[in-house]
Amino acid sequence: MTTKIFSCLAATVLLSVTTRAADGGDFKERLKPLPFKIAYESYVDNNWEIFVMNPDGSNPVNLTGTSKIHEHYPQVSPDGSKMCFVADEGEGTETIRSLWVMDIDGKNRKKLVEYAREPFWSPDGKVIGYLGQEYPKFRVIDYYTKGMNFYELATGKITPHPNSDKLRHLYNPGFSRNGKWIVSTVHAGMGYDHAILAIEAHGDKIINLKIPGCRPCFSPDGKQVAWGASDNEIAAAPIDTESDEPAVGPWRLHVKDAKNKIYHVDWSPDSRFLSISRGPDGEGDIKKVGTFEAACEIMGVYAPGWNLIAVPADKDGTIDLNTASDADYSKLTTNGASNKESAWFRSPPQN
Amino acid sequence: MRWFSLFAALALLSGCGKSAPSGSSESKSESAPPAAAPAAAAPGSPAEPVEAVTKSGIEMVYLPGGEFTMGSNRGSPDEAPAHKVKVTGFMMDKYEVTHEMFIKVQLPDPSHWQDSPKKPVERVRWRDAKQYCNERSTLEGLKPCYDEKTMDWVCDYSANGYRLPTEAEWEYAARAGTEAPYEFGTADKLRQYAWFADNAEEKTHAVGQKRANRWGIYDLYGNVSEWCEDVFSPTYYAESPAVDPLGPPSPGKDVKRVMRGGSWKSSADMARVSFRQGQRTGDTDACFYTDYCGFRCVRRVSPEELQKLKPPAK
Repeated sequence: MTTKIFSCLAATVLLSVTTRAADGGDFKERLKPLPFKIAYESYVDNNWEIFVMNPDGSNPVNLTGTSKIHEHYPQVSPDGSKMCFVADEGEGTETIRSLWVMDIDGKNRKKLVEYAREPFWSPDGKVIGYLGQEYPKFRVIDYYTKGMNFYELATGKITPHPNSDKLRHLYNPGFSRNGKWIVSTVHAGMGYDHAILAIEAHGDKIINLKIPGCRPCFSPDGKQVAWGASDNEIAAAPIDTESDEPAVGPWRLHVKDAKNKIYHVDWSPDSRFLSISRGPDGEGDIKKVGTFEAACEIMGVYAPGWNLIAVPADKDGTIDLNTASDADYSKLTTNGASNKESAWFRSPPQN
Repeated sequence: MRWFSLFAALALLSGCGKSAPSGSSESKSESAPPAAAPAAAAPGSPAEPVEAVTKSGIEMVYLPGGEFTMGSNRGSPDEAPAHKVKVTGFMMDKYEVTHEMFIKVQLPDPSHWQDSPKKPVERVRWRDAKQYCNERSTLEGLKPCYDEKTMDWVCDYSANGYRLPTEAEWEYAARAGTEAPYEFGTADKLRQYAWFADNAEEKTHAVGQKRANRWGIYDLYGNVSEWCEDVFSPTYYAESPAVDPLGPPSPGKDVKRVMRGGSWKSSADMARVSFRQGQRTGDTDACFYTDYCGFRCVRRVSPEELQKLKPPAK
């Protein structure tokens, strides 16, 4: 035991020293040694696929490789062993979006529920939450949702959220680390014009976090939340989810890009880095198979020129991506192939 | 306004003669004000409009075609020159599209004010409005006008389905045979006809609560502004064709579309019948916050089709 603790401490010190040594240098060098991977969606060969790459963007691997099924929105279980995602099958308003799960290496894929959107893992990895579709006809818009359900992986049992009947037009939900709250955006629903909410996971309490923007994402350590404060800004701030009235503290990090949209923020497993989708304004290209016309940041919309970047989450102040250097951020993808919806995870142990 | 029966309307349509639209209205409309040119005196003044109910239960008004003076030489520069335009007859929604109408075709309602199903939808992107038109067409077995697989969803004007009005159709309907800045006369009567900045209390209201214009169409001057099909160009009137103008060609990126009619936040001046707005479509916005953007639908209809439609229940 003593040896193990010592080893762990030594590793922590080494990592800390390495990090400090790299500060001021090429930011990508900080990413290379991390024991993480990043999953994301990309549009290649007229199909949406889920890829996994190293944390510096190297070695992208297509995990899905299906020619007629369009996979999106990868979400990795807290232990890094499984990935859930949604897949679109069919065309136009007849498209059916479903919830799937597979092993982290892409094997053993299984469809769980049809007409399901925007899944999210419970902190113990035993349950996948998801949002229902508002009406049977397919629409690409992100807030086209009604109700919330929990799928228990061991039994296949589906349980509605206790307040499910009142949950409408939510999108991008995620559990807090303690499992008490689900943060989500709402647009034109539940009496809200537009808001980021903390929804009691096992009750009916709903708290407006009173921060502007959308798509909140809890840090894995449970202490912070990052979100898109506008089309061109990502913010991060402390959040208290232990109390009965979750509240967001002062904004600490601010990433901005006046020339591009920046969206879909996600935290690295150690809560020290953020990945972000970045690309030009647009409304898709309806001629591309399996895509829809809407804002480029919306899942299923072809987004030419969109790539993934990483920034340090432990930086105070603003990172302006139009003036930032390689020391401040790193490009993870460069092919512009509608790279969106990244999800960090800890690399599984090698057998 | 005393509405002709459907039978009478069909007689008109079949060429039995044109009747001057009456200023002798009843119900909520009032008699033609002296300041407005009497419709009967306007060149090419249309025959009487006809009310009808669509297969899905939506009230519309058939407006026989005619010629009118579009624009104004006394308004903003983009309203000039005033020019003669001929418009083919068409049906127009009696009311702005409401929440209950929008939800009926299974579209997600993006509106800010959803406290009454009778309120108009707003925060509607241009393409959302077109999608509604296509869905409503499909629901009623009509041929959709918009090709959803083309950029900008090209409109087939020969299709019998629903679409957004052209700017000319919108103004033709709003003028209702008059040439004054307001169909009903002067701005001091606007409160009787419209929810606008002076009386709306910064919100939308259930449709149809104010007076209709003399052709029986409600809320053209206020509540929400309404999308039209046309690309907006401030100089278009100088080159616009004289028959059924469809607006200038799309420049592709960053296009603005025409939005007509006042809204809950408009001044009286912005509610004038010739007032023009160019509005970004919102199609590249995930969340479109322009909470005065609504719409209503039009469609072309043959005399045979019109004959099959029921008159509204009295």
